[in-house]
Amino acid sequence: MLPEVVLSYLTQAAEEARTELPDRNSSLFLSGVLDSFALVDFVALLESKCGVRVDDAELRPENFDTIAKVEAFVQRARGEV
Amino acid sequence: MSCYITACGAALPDRVVTNAELARWLEVTPEWIEANSGIRERRWAGAEQSTSDLAAAAVSDALNDAGMSAGQIDYLIGCTLSPDYQVPGIAPLVQRKLAGCRQVPAVDLRAGCAAMLYSLQLAGGLIAAGAANDIVCFGAEAQSKGLDLARRSAELSMLFGDGAGAVVVSREPRHGRGLPLEIKDVLIAADGNFAEDLTVRAPGTANGPRWFDAEQRAERLHHPAMNGRSVILHAVRKLADAAIEVTTRNGVSLDQIDLIIPHQANANLLRSLGNRLKVSEERIVVNVDRYGNTSGASAFLALWQAQRERRLRPGSHALILAFAAGFTWGAALCRVGQPPGQG
Repeated sequence: MLPEVVLSYLTQAAEEARTELPDRNSSLFLSGVLDSFALVDFVALLESKCGVRVDDAELRPENFDTIAKVEAFVQRARGEV
Repeated sequence: MSCYITACGAALPDRVVTNAELARWLEVTPEWIEANSGIRERRWAGAEQSTSDLAAAAVSDALNDAGMSAGQIDYLIGCTLSPDYQVPGIAPLVQRKLAGCRQVPAVDLRAGCAAMLYSLQLAGGLIAAGAANDIVCFGAEAQSKGLDLARRSAELSMLFGDGAGAVVVSREPRHGRGLPLEIKDVLIAADGNFAEDLTVRAPGTANGPRWFDAEQRAERLHHPAMNGRSVILHAVRKLADAAIEVTTRNGVSLDQIDLIIPHQANANLLRSLGNRLKVSEERIVVNVDRYGNTSGASAFLALWQAQRERRLRPGSHALILAFAAGFTWGAALCRVGQPPGQG
């Protein structure tokens, strides 16, 4: 489960994009919630709020395309899986 | 490293392509282009104008700035993604167009939009090794001739402009229109794991039995292609990291950097970089609104503009930053010299 501050960021991004936050398996990119520059800020937020470091090799958009993928990434980065 | 950027030059095609004109081909709106790139217009080369024409004009401008003749050049380093020919490289073609230039080494350096930084490090090394005293580095592009002017490529094709910039790198400082810049340190790096995220794949030997054929043309492999999200993610991180590393290892804080002179990729990317580095917009050179992304020429043109507008203060520090296909990236820390008679 992602921290509330991370989900709040996505909810706010969805509002700014005038769209709904998609379900956990639908694309944050295709829904318009995260554009390329919002993705930069989102990854920085994940690093600071989830206590993880996104290595260069893992810095790939597909790791952050859905809420489920983000959760899985954070779990992996924390060594929880 | 002890050498100096002693002069700058530029050449831009006459033809101005506005967003309104481009939007018709790309089937988008002019407002969409500006909102997604910060670009309002760019220059495109004429049908009979080659990249080396632009480069030779920029080099001549830089030599004029330096008060040098072409015969005084010891070495030519040319940077382009859009050369006149596959073979030979652009540097010998530019050498031919510089009246009086001797039979000095003329080499192409392919590091995309980060090529200026790569060329500065190479020039510094050549000077330190005693191989040359005055080296001309140039970046030149006519990318417009290779763009896919269709909706499917709008996000990429809206970006590029044509132009050329050049600098003279010298063992000793001299004074041109602007102040000499001492190159204190150059940090450059690459990560080939992301090589396919920004490409022009054809002509190329990784495409099958022929380096260019009808099938590759149908797949549009000869046009630029980009994974934009990946490029932006890495660009912001690597540019910021490079800026911090090159300043830190030289005992300079980012607060002491008067001016950041970045590759003009996209205005939104420059804004994102400024936010990450906590550097205000007025400390970042921006000309992407007028010239677009001129790839290998871009950082050269940004420096030329900074000198032209006299934005470099004597004794201050400047940082040149670039990120490119490859991925390649880097940062150059420079110290601005004194006006004549005060140095």
